[in-house]
Amino acid sequence: MDNSYDVIVIGAGNAGLISALKLVKENKKVLILESNNVPGGFATSFIRGRFEFETSLQEIGGYGSSEKIGPIQKLFEKLEISDKINFINLTDAFHVYAKDKKEEYRMPFGIQEFINKMNEYVPGSDKAMKKFFILAEEVQKAIVFLEQDKNVNSKILSEQFPNFMKVAALSTDKVFKALKMPKKAAEILSTYWIYLGSPTSNLSFVHFASTVLSNLYLGAVIPEKRSHEISNILAEEITKNGGDIKYLSTVQEILFEEGKVCGVRLSDGKDFKSKHILFNGSPTFLYGKMIPKEYVPKEALKLTNSRVLGGRGFSIYLGLNQSPEDIGLTDYSYFINHSLDSNIEFENRSSIKNNSCVAIVLNNKNPHCSPAGTTLMTMTSVFFGDTFNNKVTEENYFELKNQIAENIINNFEETTGINIKSYIEEIEIASPVTYARYGGHPEGVIYGYKLTGLDNLLPRTLNKEKENFVPNVRICGGFDAWGNGFSNTYLSGYRAAKLTLLDMKGEEEA
Amino acid sequence: MTDLKLDGIGKKEILKFKNLSKEREKVITSTPLDNIKVEYNTSEIAHSLHPKLQYVKVIDIINESKDVKTFLLAPNDEKGTKKLAYFKAGQYISVRIRIGKCLYKRPYTLSCSPKLALENHYTITIKRKEEGVVSNYFFDNITIGSSFVVSAPNGTFCYERIRDAKNVIAIAGGSGITPFISMAEAINDQLLNFNLTILYGAKTTKDLIFKERLDKLCTNGRIKVKYILSEEESDKYERGFIEKETIEPYLAEENSFFVCGPMELYKHMNEVLKEYNLAKKFIRTDLFFSEIELRREEEFNVKIITKDKEFNISCNGQETLLSAIEKNGILVPSSCHVGVCGLCRSKLLSGKIKTFDSDIRASDKNLNYIHPCSSFPESDVVIKLPN
Repeated sequence: MDNSYDVIVIGAGNAGLISALKLVKENKKVLILESNNVPGGFATSFIRGRFEFETSLQEIGGYGSSEKIGPIQKLFEKLEISDKINFINLTDAFHVYAKDKKEEYRMPFGIQEFINKMNEYVPGSDKAMKKFFILAEEVQKAIVFLEQDKNVNSKILSEQFPNFMKVAALSTDKVFKALKMPKKAAEILSTYWIYLGSPTSNLSFVHFASTVLSNLYLGAVIPEKRSHEISNILAEEITKNGGDIKYLSTVQEILFEEGKVCGVRLSDGKDFKSKHILFNGSPTFLYGKMIPKEYVPKEALKLTNSRVLGGRGFSIYLGLNQSPEDIGLTDYSYFINHSLDSNIEFENRSSIKNNSCVAIVLNNKNPHCSPAGTTLMTMTSVFFGDTFNNKVTEENYFELKNQIAENIINNFEETTGINIKSYIEEIEIASPVTYARYGGHPEGVIYGYKLTGLDNLLPRTLNKEKENFVPNVRICGGFDAWGNGFSNTYLSGYRAAKLTLLDMKGEEEA
Repeated sequence: MTDLKLDGIGKKEILKFKNLSKEREKVITSTPLDNIKVEYNTSEIAHSLHPKLQYVKVIDIINESKDVKTFLLAPNDEKGTKKLAYFKAGQYISVRIRIGKCLYKRPYTLSCSPKLALENHYTITIKRKEEGVVSNYFFDNITIGSSFVVSAPNGTFCYERIRDAKNVIAIAGGSGITPFISMAEAINDQLLNFNLTILYGAKTTKDLIFKERLDKLCTNGRIKVKYILSEEESDKYERGFIEKETIEPYLAEENSFFVCGPMELYKHMNEVLKEYNLAKKFIRTDLFFSEIELRREEEFNVKIITKDKEFNISCNGQETLLSAIEKNGILVPSSCHVGVCGLCRSKLLSGKIKTFDSDIRASDKNLNYIHPCSSFPESDVVIKLPN
């Protein structure tokens, strides 16, 4: 059997799947190698009792609706899969609680709607909010421009995007100050920080603003049959178009011949040949153990060592034996924080006592996701830093997991006044250990590298080509420039596929 | 573009942007060039809790009754297994046995305290079944010194303190006692914290395996055992089956019922407990193989497609596709054998099967994925295995 391919994709996560589909549609011979037995990586589902749980998805931002077509919808249309998946549109942006001051705010999608609601909570905030969105729009346009033209000409940039130029290197907090954003409004708006994994004091304003804008303008969607539906359709289409997916296949090493990439070796010793590799995983393990030392340039080691790991995942999956209505769960998403101040909250989440979470009540937007009279609820938290890593042992593992889960559930109950515990029919807990095993990332990271300071979106994007250290090995997924999240990883996979196509074209011409 | 008035922001900030790449490079260049850290405690624990395989050898065999034996296992160092993975009381391991050209996998509950795993031992307890290929092999061929491969511990028939009541009523039929001896010992070893009452049904006194261990465990105030014999008259024990009357005294307060045993016990308990309108959350059953009506005793042609090969085999309408695949020596990933773990997830390309579809994901159903371990052919079929 012929075991050579145009491209080998390592990992069937969101980015790996999208990249493979793009490549097979360009008539390339593609092989995906995946450690687990189903596609999707964290984008999957699992069953306990009479419940099918969503493993990771809260919402896909940037999809849009039939009127407003967002980048992800455009991508899915290009790949001819948008009509194969049933999406449900969400209506509210978020419902956030701050326990310290006993506050709660419910914010809608839609820019004007958001500004109006904010003005109700914080009278007089509308002026600064409007300015924020004008600025955000310019920022977004500038990013698109920069992505198309890598050779930045600062004169053109200054002419076209003068405001962007002023804020491009600044933190979110600094720009809030410059916008004279009332403190409370800034705090409510910054609820989005949790998706990006860095407190507003060192979170790039550019990244923050473009995320908020895209989310509020386009709204967000969820698939009807959990994210497993999307991963399944992607895998199905890849196979239909001639791609090859091998599950339960763990890549151990990237092989070289005469200094050039020539294939991969699996943990069972099997080899596959290809001159092009797309790696849907962490550079830490790619450069640290998969590429032989002599082929890893010093710069790659230095860059990897300079980076900080992002949030480590902790999720509680609950199958409840009453309807959301009977339990008193009215919203789709609950952001349960100790403080609205992201800098304080970040510190909280760096401690093992962290009990904040984002809780999703799937039935409130997807009523048939579980049997009538039941509720599917997920509480997800992230630990920053290595607090969990330092605490966990094989012996204390099951109990530590229970303790943290109990703290999170208790805190949800105390903060919202809604009883959950009496209704638990099924419970499953995923800790960083679970994420480390399933995703294969260091320490159970689900957020890629922390987007912070000089390792923020913009410097990463500007230096992307320069930092592609091993020719013909391209990195995609949550460790790529834009970081984690469904939209980001889908787009990352698409970009990586296009770059690989360019690499191949360059070869032909040479 | 309109120039937004941004307080306190000017040329300095623009320069900062222009220098972004330079600054980033400075940080990177000043980072020490050590090797990349690739070992993480969390990742190592993930690895030791979920090893892909564990090589074990039998170091002792205990005769529990005329048709039940307990095998004491230790890591097989020579094959590279240094330590055994820790587990939760109630979990099982999938044992791989090669007989002739066939590779069989069978799930067996770990019948010991999790503490034993920390001392690098497991026990599994196997009942000889008349037609059980693997159980007979264990009785006839496995001796002290034999070695084989087992999976990582798996399964969810475990006590969850956040979910379950403080009092657990365990209903055990015959060798269904195995998860409960593990839970009782875990309580005694202070690894679990709840009150356990075991209603243990067997045919005769001789069939009451673990009796001595259980009696000893009852000196711990949190553990109680009640023996019920169906085929022996005795002054010490109740006579009969586990019935409505046996369970009734335990319904007064909020208790969780855990059921493990043969099919008849599940069916019976299901009926009994249904009458009391107990919430589903308080009734937990071990891997439940619900019965499928109208299985046809007829041979069907089954085409099996794997990544590298194709096979044509036959499968009776009363046996699972996985069983036919195993018998023909075809390798396929599997673990639980009751449609729950999803490891054998395969695609049905043509033909009809009968299955319990409650354990198939909604989108898998749409795309014709099945679990061969719990699917019976109803016509000639073609399936594509995951490997």
